[in-house]
Amino acid sequence: MSAGTVNYAQTRSFLIDTTKCTGCRGCQVACKQWNQLKAEKTTFFSGEGYQNPPQMSEYTFTRVKFKDYEKHGQNEFAFYKEMCMHCNEPACASVCPVGAFHKTPEGPVVYDSKKCIGCRFCMVACPFGVPKYEWSKAFPLVKKCTGCYSRVKAGLEPACATACPTAITYGSRDEMLKEASRRIAAKPERYYKTIYGKEEAGGTGVLYLTQQPLDELGFKKITKRPLPSYTWQALRLVPGIFLTVGGTLSAISWFQHRKDRIRKEEEGMQEKDK
Amino acid sequence: MTAARIIMNEIKGYHRFIKLMMVLVGMGALSAMIRFIFGLGVTTNLNDTYPWGLWISFDVVTAVPLAAGAFTIGVVAHVCHIKKLEPLVRPAIVTGFLGYSLVCIGLLLDLGQPQRGINVLRYWNVHSPMFEVSMCVMAYTTVLTLEFLHPVSEKFGWHIPLRLLRTLEIPFAILAAMISTLHQSTLGTFFLIAVDKLHNLWYNPLLPLQFWLSAIFTGLSIVIFEASLVHKYMGQPDESELLATLTRIIPWVMGVYIVVKLYALLFLRHGPLFDRPVLTALFATEMIVGVFMPFSLYLGKRIKTDKRLQLRAASMVIFGLVLNRFNVSMFGMEQANQQIYVPSLLESLVTIGIIAAHILFFVLIAKYFPIFEHHPEATDYTIPDRFRKVGRPGEGHGSPSEA
Ligand code: SF4
Ligand code: SF4
Ligand code: SF4
Repeated sequence: MSAGTVNYAQTRSFLIDTTKCTGCRGCQVACKQWNQLKAEKTTFFSGEGYQNPPQMSEYTFTRVKFKDYEKHGQNEFAFYKEMCMHCNEPACASVCPVGAFHKTPEGPVVYDSKKCIGCRFCMVACPFGVPKYEWSKAFPLVKKCTGCYSRVKAGLEPACATACPTAITYGSRDEMLKEASRRIAAKPERYYKTIYGKEEAGGTGVLYLTQQPLDELGFKKITKRPLPSYTWQALRLVPGIFLTVGGTLSAISWFQHRKDRIRKEEEGMQEKDK
Repeated sequence: MTAARIIMNEIKGYHRFIKLMMVLVGMGALSAMIRFIFGLGVTTNLNDTYPWGLWISFDVVTAVPLAAGAFTIGVVAHVCHIKKLEPLVRPAIVTGFLGYSLVCIGLLLDLGQPQRGINVLRYWNVHSPMFEVSMCVMAYTTVLTLEFLHPVSEKFGWHIPLRLLRTLEIPFAILAAMISTLHQSTLGTFFLIAVDKLHNLWYNPLLPLQFWLSAIFTGLSIVIFEASLVHKYMGQPDESELLATLTRIIPWVMGVYIVVKLYALLFLRHGPLFDRPVLTALFATEMIVGVFMPFSLYLGKRIKTDKRLQLRAASMVIFGLVLNRFNVSMFGMEQANQQIYVPSLLESLVTIGIIAAHILFFVLIAKYFPIFEHHPEATDYTIPDRFRKVGRPGEGHGSPSEA
């Protein structure tokens, strides 16, 4: 859960400027290499666009999505890199019964495979559809982008950010937000005026700049409220309800049985009177 | 050898229906083994888009409220002290006990790392609804097992546990209601995290309350359903007079449910309601067949005396609940233009096996243990019991205590 110690302004964050992305997929390859992920066998045109593989999966933590659109009668391409958003208040961490996920003070949301019992609630909860499952295994685990936590802890940048020639900037969330606003202000004609990830799901560690309206690019519309708060508003009532139900029922039970006892006593008295 | 022969002979005497159930259970067990050998991915139709399928939707989310008869009737009979309902309590406890045991099996099957299930006790995350439900299910299964020990001890004449259990009857009924309130409602909390996934026809902050209320009236309807069937097919006494008491309680709970549901629908939703025709149809079916029709049946006068009407209303409620839980956990979660999840043969066989196991074990328990012969007028209910007064008349004194 949201550890009170995490200062989101200082967490390491990605700024992904899709207007600068060339679609080289260097990040995708770098991620595979760093995380030693198997290649996937794919066929062209297997998904909605031209991208390969068709989805993120247990072998693919990040993937460049291709989107073609028309501008001034011209066919244009947009690319964006899909990955774990490293939410400030991650839904995955909040719902996991054994707390296998946690938000590190540095920023990445990491997964402890030794705790996981494989209930897949994290997959149901994540609004961005990020955690993937090892469907190929008899005793599967969850897989997702680690934010290259081991590199970040060592003072390096994530593999994908290092590999990217143009589009990914990496730094504190505060700086990345400032940088994003600066870019929008400097070239208003170039950017759609929203920073995706600034407020989505209560704020994320991955920020996107786009040229197209977000929904046209396939960015999901996501609530601005931190997701854990939705379940917590019900769960925090649990102890109270537990005690209330117990207290009420005990009272009812005592009362109902008292009526019975009194009736019995009265009957007993009457018997004696006779 | 002889023991095996005795068992074989017993089985030979069973009704064809029971034998069919045994075959289904066997097939379910086999399918479960196949799942463990080859893994979830190969044997089920689950994938990254549908991480939860039939086993969560039916074996867990639906089976838990269907097993709610035990705690609801416990409250009505013991806590509210409506003594005449006593005969309904034991069958309901057996159903609940079986239901929850099978929920545990369903959960273990669905877990990717079942051998680590115990981690729930080691690493607590109180923010997780799943944590809460697993704790409650474990606690409640324990309570139900203890309650189920009651007929078992009676059968074998264990006096001391029997006396202890009898003293604990009311505390257990209250504890059962406390735990059930939590996990029945928390199953609804599960889906509160799916803000942008679950359709607005079902998503609203009052979902936990709705889950709890519907579990209560379904639990009571299950008691009616079961008593009617047991009367019809197992030659047990007709309880329709007792059931009439229940038909007076149910419409109150249903009424509250309808109010809560309408209020949530009108004032608490996040977006459009009727943009997906298929979901609208599912919602309408759930509400009309599963709620409004039985509600009006329960309100009518005839249901107090008409057995067939009682069974019909109860069946509708159960149908409505099953559809509701599937709507929330499966259909309503499917996004527009996504491929559709259909359970694999193996998944279906396991679920069928679990249902068959429930019926089978119920019939067998009813055959060998005093589940129905338990009428309060026949038993001494004073608490605490005087020494060795418990047990079948004439046997209490002098027989060696096996406790
Ligand atoms: S994007 Fe999903 S997996 Fe990543 S931190 Fe957020 S909730 Fe967790
Ligand atoms: S699958 Fe594992 S990580 Fe995901 S919620 Fe369940 S226990 Fe936690
Ligand atoms: S941060 Fe690391 S794990 Fe995540 S997408 Fe980039 S390279 Fe892959």
